[in-house]
Amino acid sequence: MLKIWIIIQREYITRVKKPAFFITTLLAPLGFLVLMGASVFISTYNQSSTKVAIVDESQQFKALFEEYGLADADDGSVRFQVVTEKYDDVLKAMNAKEDAPFQAVLHIPENFDVNNPNHAAIAYRYNERPGMAKQQLITQRMNDAMVKLRMKSSNVDQALMDELQTKVKLNFESLKDHNENATYTTVASIFGMIMSMAIYISLFFYGTMIMKSVQEEKTNRIVEVLASSVKPFQLLMGKILGVGAVGITQIILWMGLMFVVNIVVGILFGFSIGSQMPAPSAMPAEAMDADDMNRLMSTISALPFKRIMILYPIYFLGGFLLYGSLFAAVGAAMGEDSDQQSLMLPISLPIIISVIIAMNVVNDPDSSLGFWASLIPFTSPVVMSAMLPLVNNGWQIAASLVLLVAGFLFTTFIAARIYRVGILMYGKKVKISEIMRWIFSKA
Amino acid sequence: MSLLELKNIVKQYGNYYASNDVSFTIPKGKIFGLLGPNGAGKTTLIRMITRILYPDSGQILFAGQPLQDKHTEQIGYMPEERGLYKKMKVGDHLIYLARLKGLDKAKAAERVDFWLKKFDIETWYNKTLEELSKGMSQKVQFIATVIHDPNLLILDEPFSGLDPINAKLIEDEISALKQSGKTIIFSTHRMEQVEEICDEIVLVNQGKKILEGTVHELKQRFKENKYKLSFQGQLTAPTIANMKLLQQTKTDWLVQFDAAHQGNQLLRHAIDQQAEVISFQEVLPTINEIFIRQVQAN
Repeated sequence: MLKIWIIIQREYITRVKKPAFFITTLLAPLGFLVLMGASVFISTYNQSSTKVAIVDESQQFKALFEEYGLADADDGSVRFQVVTEKYDDVLKAMNAKEDAPFQAVLHIPENFDVNNPNHAAIAYRYNERPGMAKQQLITQRMNDAMVKLRMKSSNVDQALMDELQTKVKLNFESLKDHNENATYTTVASIFGMIMSMAIYISLFFYGTMIMKSVQEEKTNRIVEVLASSVKPFQLLMGKILGVGAVGITQIILWMGLMFVVNIVVGILFGFSIGSQMPAPSAMPAEAMDADDMNRLMSTISALPFKRIMILYPIYFLGGFLLYGSLFAAVGAAMGEDSDQQSLMLPISLPIIISVIIAMNVVNDPDSSLGFWASLIPFTSPVVMSAMLPLVNNGWQIAASLVLLVAGFLFTTFIAARIYRVGILMYGKKVKISEIMRWIFSKA
Repeated sequence: MSLLELKNIVKQYGNYYASNDVSFTIPKGKIFGLLGPNGAGKTTLIRMITRILYPDSGQILFAGQPLQDKHTEQIGYMPEERGLYKKMKVGDHLIYLARLKGLDKAKAAERVDFWLKKFDIETWYNKTLEELSKGMSQKVQFIATVIHDPNLLILDEPFSGLDPINAKLIEDEISALKQSGKTIIFSTHRMEQVEEICDEIVLVNQGKKILEGTVHELKQRFKENKYKLSFQGQLTAPTIANMKLLQQTKTDWLVQFDAAHQGNQLLRHAIDQQAEVISFQEVLPTINEIFIRQVQAN
C-alpha cells in the first residue's frame, strides 16, 4: 500500500509541477469563454443580412403593408422592403451589379387569390440561397400577412383580431413532483448535459494521459526496473489514481476560477455568468423577459443539488477508474510506434455511444433506453450524470452504483492482467486476439 | 553458502520453453556469470529472480528461504535495455527508485548524496535526465541499481554502450561491491569480460543449462593440451609421436599433445638443438571458445 502511495505522489507531482498543467488549467476556461463568445458572435453579428424586395402586383396587400409593413427578423438577418418598381426592373437591378439593392425578391403575382394561395403561388427568387431559418421566417411572415388579410376581408374587428392571435403557453407539470415543470425539465436537461459532457471530455483527456504515460514507460524501458521493485498492479493503480488526483485538482481549480471570475464580473458588470448562458438553439429564440429570468433562477435553485453533489463525483470517479485502467491496458499493449490506434476502438466506442445515449435520454429520462444505459457500467457514468437532475428512483440509482463498482473492479482486474504482460512485450505488434490470451495467461 | 538457488525451473510460453528444467546455485559474495547467446533465456531467468515473472514449476530459494516479494528489496536489477524518466531530475529520480525499494525518504536522500559524491557528480542533482549524455545516464542507472544497498545485484550487459573510462569505473565498483560481500549476477554474451570478472559461470542455451562451473575449472575441463613455445635460433620439427605441430612461425610454435603434461619432450628437443627457449606455456581455451563450442554442440 505504501508503495502505491509513493507512485501516486510521483505521478501527481511530476504532472502538477509541469508548466503545461498551469497553462491548460488557465487556458481551458479561457478557451471555453472564447468558444462561447465566438458562438454568440457568429450567431448574431456575422449572419449575413438578406434584403428582400416585395413586389405586390396583386395590390391586395397594399393597405396591409402600409399599416403594418412586413416585420423584419429580430436579429436583422432578413429585412423586408415594399417596392413600387416593376417586377422585371427589380430582377434586372438584382442581376445587374454586384452591390445589388436586394438579395431576393418576393413576387406576389397579379392573379393571386388569398383564398386559394397556392393556385398562383407567391415566388421568392434569390441570389443568395436562404437557409432553413430564413425560409421559415419568410414563410411565417407571409402567412401572418395572409391571415390578417383574410380576417380583414371577413370584416373581423381589430380588437377581436388581436384576441384571436394571442398564443397559449402550456404548463407542463409532473404528477409526482410539483417542482417539475417545463422550464424545470429544460434547465435540468441542460444542466445534466453539461455534467455529462464534462465526464465525457475528462474520460478521453485523462484516459489518453494515462495511456501515453504507460506507453512512455514501456518505450523507455523504465518499467522493467519498476516491475522489479513493485507489483504491476501497484504500478497500474498508482498511475490511475495519480492521474485521477491531477484531474480532481484541475476541476477544483476550474471551479475556484469560475467562482472568482463570477464574483469579479458580478462586481464589474452587475450580473453573473451562470445566468448568461446562451440559450441552446432548440429553445425558442424569443428574448426572455424579466419574468422568465426570475422563473429560470428559481428553477435552477430547485435542482436537487444535494443529490448531484453526492452522486456526480461518484459517477465521475467510477467512470474514471473503469475506463482509466482500460486505457492503461491499451497503452501497455501498444507498440513503441503507437500506430495501433485500432486498439483504442473497444474503449472509445462505448464512451461515444454513452454520449449519444445521454443526448437522447435527457429528453426522455423515463425511457427504457435511459433505464438500461443507467445500469450498464460502461455507459452509466456518462448517461447517469446527464439524468441526475431528472431521475429520482432510489433503487435505480442504487443498482446503477452497485453495478458501477462491480464494473470497475472487473475492468481493473482484466486491465491488470493485460498490463502485466504488455509492459514486458517489446518490438512486437499485438492483435486483440493475443491480448485476450494474456488475460488468461499465467505471469 | 549459497545466496540464490534455482531448482528445476520451468517457464513455458505455449510450446516454447524459455526455461527448461534449469538448476544452479549462486554462492554468496561471488560474481556469477549468466551466459548465453541472444534468446537463450537469460532475461526470463532474471525476471523470475526479480519476481517480474513466476516459474511454471520449480523453486527459487533466496538465502535458504523460498523467494518472496519482500526479497526484491534486497535485489538490485539493471536491465539490458535501460531507461529512466527523461523529464525527472536526477536526484528526485534516484530518491523515487530508492523509496520503491523500501528506503524511507531521509535515508534515500542520504544514499543519493553519498553515491553522487562518490562518482563526483553532485552537480547533476538538479539536472533532468534528458540533459545528460548516454554515458552519464548509464552512471545514474548504475546508482539506481545499488542505491538501496542490495545483497544481490543483477547486471544485464552492464558495459554495453559505455566508453572505456566509464566501463572501468563500473568495473571497479563491481569489484568493490564484491569485496564488501555482495553477490553479483553478471549476464552477458561478451566473453572477454567474463574471464576477467566472473568467479563462476553458468551457460544457458535454448532454455537449458548446458554448462556450469568456475572459470578455472571449466578451462581445465575443456583444455586441449595445447602449448606455445617461443624461442630464438634454429629449430627443426621434432619427431614426437604424440605431438602435433599446429602453427609454426620463426619464433613461435603452437603444439598439441595427446595427453596432459608431456611438454618436457618438446623442451628437451629444443635444448638439444640449442635453440634459446624464451617461454613455454600451456594454452587454455578462452571462455569464448568453450562457449561457441558448447553452443554449437547443442
